[in-house]
Amino acid sequence: MTQQTWDEVGGLLPHDEFRAASEAIVANIEQVIEGKTATVRLALAVLLAEGHLLIEDVPGVGKTKLAKALARSIDCSVRRIQFTPDLLPSDVTGVSVYNQETHDFEFRPGAVFANLVVGDEINRASPKTQSALLECMEERQVTVDGVTYQLQTPFMVIATQNPIEMEGTYPLPEAQRDRFTARIAMGYPDPGAELAMLDGHGATDPLHELRPVSDAATVRRLIGHVRQVHVADAVKQYAIDLVTATREAPDLRLGASPRATLQLLRTARAVAALEGRDYVLPDDLQALAVPVLAHRIIPTADAQLARRTTDAIVAELVHRLPLPHDRKRSPYDTRPPAPNNGRGPYEPRRP
Amino acid sequence: MTAHRNLGFVAAAATLLAAAPLSAIFERWTWLIQAAIVVAVVAGAAALSRLARAPLWGQVLAMLTGLTLALTWVFPGGTEFFAFVPTPATFAHFGDLLSASLSDMRSYGVQVPDVDSLLFLAVLGIGAVAVVVDVLTVGLRRPALAGLPMLAIYSVPVAVYVDSVPATPFVVGACGYLWLLVTDNVDRVRRFGRRFTGEGRDVDVWEASPLAAAGRRLAVVGVVLAVALPLAVPGMTGGLLNAVGDGTGTGNGRPGQGGSPGRIDLFAALSGQLNQSEVTELVKVTTNEPAPFYLRFGVADELLPTGFRVRVPSGKPANRNLPDPTERGGRGVTQQRYEASVEVSKNLTMPLLPVYAEPVKTEDLSGNWLYDANRQIVFSNRENSRGKRYSFDYVRSTFSPAALRAAPSQPADDPVLAQQTVTPSVREVQKLVDQLVKGRTNDYDKVRAIYDYFSVENGFTYSLSTRSGTSGDDITNFLNTKVGFCQQYAAAMAWLVRSAGIPARVAFGFTNGSNSGDGTYVLTNKNLHAWTEVHFGGIGWVPFDATPAASVQGSVRSAWAPDTDAPEDVTPLPGSTAAPGGVDPSAGADDPDRLDKDADQGLAVGDGGPTRQSPVWPWWVGGALALLALLAVPALRRSALRRRRRARASVPAATTMAAVPGQRGEAREIVVGVDAERARADAHAAWDELLDTLVDFHVRVDLTETPRTTAERLTRETLAEDAAAVTGIRLLGRAEERARYARDPLTGEELHPALRSVRGALAARANRRTRLLAALLPPSVLLRWRTALTERSTRLVTTTGQVRQRLLRWNPRRLLAGRPAR
Repeated sequence: MTQQTWDEVGGLLPHDEFRAASEAIVANIEQVIEGKTATVRLALAVLLAEGHLLIEDVPGVGKTKLAKALARSIDCSVRRIQFTPDLLPSDVTGVSVYNQETHDFEFRPGAVFANLVVGDEINRASPKTQSALLECMEERQVTVDGVTYQLQTPFMVIATQNPIEMEGTYPLPEAQRDRFTARIAMGYPDPGAELAMLDGHGATDPLHELRPVSDAATVRRLIGHVRQVHVADAVKQYAIDLVTATREAPDLRLGASPRATLQLLRTARAVAALEGRDYVLPDDLQALAVPVLAHRIIPTADAQLARRTTDAIVAELVHRLPLPHDRKRSPYDTRPPAPNNGRGPYEPRRP
Repeated sequence: MTAHRNLGFVAAAATLLAAAPLSAIFERWTWLIQAAIVVAVVAGAAALSRLARAPLWGQVLAMLTGLTLALTWVFPGGTEFFAFVPTPATFAHFGDLLSASLSDMRSYGVQVPDVDSLLFLAVLGIGAVAVVVDVLTVGLRRPALAGLPMLAIYSVPVAVYVDSVPATPFVVGACGYLWLLVTDNVDRVRRFGRRFTGEGRDVDVWEASPLAAAGRRLAVVGVVLAVALPLAVPGMTGGLLNAVGDGTGTGNGRPGQGGSPGRIDLFAALSGQLNQSEVTELVKVTTNEPAPFYLRFGVADELLPTGFRVRVPSGKPANRNLPDPTERGGRGVTQQRYEASVEVSKNLTMPLLPVYAEPVKTEDLSGNWLYDANRQIVFSNRENSRGKRYSFDYVRSTFSPAALRAAPSQPADDPVLAQQTVTPSVREVQKLVDQLVKGRTNDYDKVRAIYDYFSVENGFTYSLSTRSGTSGDDITNFLNTKVGFCQQYAAAMAWLVRSAGIPARVAFGFTNGSNSGDGTYVLTNKNLHAWTEVHFGGIGWVPFDATPAASVQGSVRSAWAPDTDAPEDVTPLPGSTAAPGGVDPSAGADDPDRLDKDADQGLAVGDGGPTRQSPVWPWWVGGALALLALLAVPALRRSALRRRRRARASVPAATTMAAVPGQRGEAREIVVGVDAERARADAHAAWDELLDTLVDFHVRVDLTETPRTTAERLTRETLAEDAAAVTGIRLLGRAEERARYARDPLTGEELHPALRSVRGALAARANRRTRLLAALLPPSVLLRWRTALTERSTRLVTTTGQVRQRLLRWNPRRLLAGRPAR
């Protein structure tokens, strides 16, 4: 199984080509998930940002359907794992079994050896099994019996979980959550979309009629394109400011990790590319802050008591953080050059 | 008990500090040494009694005993046991000292020499205050009340100096009082056992408690207000400002501008008065003498290298018998007794009274007024001349030139000669004098030669607009430039006569003012004058007025000193004659630069500053113009900014664009670097201008918004109706966004019209007041200034804090606490 290297994949696609490919995927998924364009595009952006997606919502809003639709739209290997309390790590990663014919141990690849891995109800598996995903999600490799196996590219884990019913579940550990690039909620469809759903899903499941519109090679080229999107220094600084703000916010016990910074910027690149831009805007970061950062941070006990969700805290931070001023000073700008990119260090407001 | 001992010591020290004002009364510091001894003994007695746990009355008794013993030792009467145990004779001695002090108080003017009686009185008073302060502070724990006895000490110089009291000693005393209060309160706080730290953090022993910071600030504000407020109130500024200004006269007889007769700079007062354009009535005098010579009130007879100075006068009460000058009368000297009554107006305030020379009897004057027979002046250390009415008899002497010529030269050991001929050596002057008196044999001829030298023929002209001053340099200047007014004439002549070895001095007074016919003269500040008096052996002081008679209103010439500028054929009448109404042409010369601020301090004449008669409206117009210009600055700044930004934007950006084939055959637009930079700068300029416009029209500007968000918000909220403006704002947002974040900036778009349309839409939407303000006082400029000011003040505060933190390393308390500097 030889793969293209990124050099072979190449740089920027012609604008039209990228647009056509990405729009096709989005349109295909929307045949199944009605009225959720933003969510669908975000899911695609995570794929193009080489990240993993955590879909978290109440039962019955189409989490699994979105994951499967995305998987089916791309002609690549797809595996689905139903996480149950008795699932074992070897079921995920694979196991070596003894082959009587060859008198040797033979590696049977597990479910993660695919381009898209759909993990359903991931919090129902024991922490032991959940931990099996740690290595493969971040390092894109599996080590079994001392042998390391590389995973394919693209590789994406789409996991779903139910936040309401916590009985018999094992909440994801922080390390695991940090490996998911974004957490999105499906949300209920609006009345019009729900009506369309009744019409479309009444007789048959449209999922069965879904045909792939893209393949792994195309996705690799799309990813290659995303990697070339320009990020100005100001935007990088803004990303750093944003992450730093979460680390210094008084409401938060744990802020976002450097990995979060990296993934925030990657996702922003993908979003920018999907919007047909070859440069990232602070707007992209603002839009992505909640999905990318909110699930990684832990609020303080006070904030929890005050029923402040991490989503609200991050949204407020975004609302409060001024944009960095690092553009070149024009000769007629009379303001004196301020140190530290025009603003002091983030100061949490005290009551 | 430690705290009590400490408090007692502070009380004693505060008492000594509070005694500082007495330094203005005594010539020397002996009183301080004696007072220190007495106060130390009192404090020691108090500490010992407290050590023995004596009750309060015991402490008082101990202190009084200590006071008596110390007084006995310091002022021995000669009958004590072991030099300090008093006997009844000692108390009798004390009684003598006290009664002597009463008479001495009357006879001595400030500053008094070291007289035992006065020293005893002062030391007794300070010792008594020390006892009271100790009782109040340590015994009753009411240190605030201790301020009253301390204030009693300060009231002594206040009573002596009528007009102004030196402030520095008061500050010293106040510091002592504050020290006492602080010590007591620190002691009080320590009784809690633990220090409050306020913030809860660990505060070192050496560090001031943060809780006390508010108190310190309050105290500082209070003291500053207490000092500044009286300064702001008109009419109360004299004393303090003077005292600060001239260093509170510690020198003896140094001419300050205080209230004592010895402390007036009559020269400064004179020139200041003559330069006033306003005419103020000062004195009204009625005499039965047909043509009186000048009314005089002051004499400057001490000649230092810095010029003529007023000596501290000394004398006997003026309401007693005065020396009779007729005893000195000789051949050729006519003496006639006249009467005169004087009415001083409210505008003349000085510790001297104008009289004719030489008074022999006064009426309606209290014992506070003293007569200095040598200087022939009436002065007081306690009262001033404001509004005084009095009458006196005087003897007018007139001299014939022959008699003066016959007067013998004084012997070299004559005290008058020794004192009044002390002259600093100025080579040029000496040369001139030698040249003038060459060949003259007697004193009068020498004096006449010098007197005649100051004539118009020799090129001397009268002018008020010269620099005043009588130092050696000033005299030399005057002799060279030959331009001056009465004080320079008088001083120069006196200087020259002194150089010739003849006693001379400068007299101050009034020329004869307007005569209403019945012998009543109204004298104004224009009549203030100075002249020379020369001493002749056996005759006394003879006046010479060298100032050109024609230039001085009410000038009088005498037989022995005729008008040098008058035509030869006019022979002056024997006696004296009044030069008719010579008007001083330059008396009211408009020369505001010359107005001497110090003028009013010695002679408080009139109601303050000189008023100019020139039209006022140019000032108003100028002020209004300046105000308008000031108000126009923000608007001008704004328009300049806009013009500069527009100038940038109007240069066509991105002229060179090229399409180069990309990797996969696609074409990529490549913008040449310089043009890209320019396009970026243009976009930034346009965006900055937009933001400023938003601020001007009171539209919210949010620093957390991206250009795109801002454009969308404006489209949604503000510019919804105006399609052109919506397009414009979107274009501006896109341009700024690309300039900031994209590889290549937006090019080929005209940003300026977009800006204009947005501005137009904003202006159309705003109300009239906002539009007016945006045009006249643009809020954006004001905001920028305010921000800059805030930043600067923040930086200042930060720096101050850092410096303070650094200085705290060397805090003495910290060093005392034995902690190494961190």
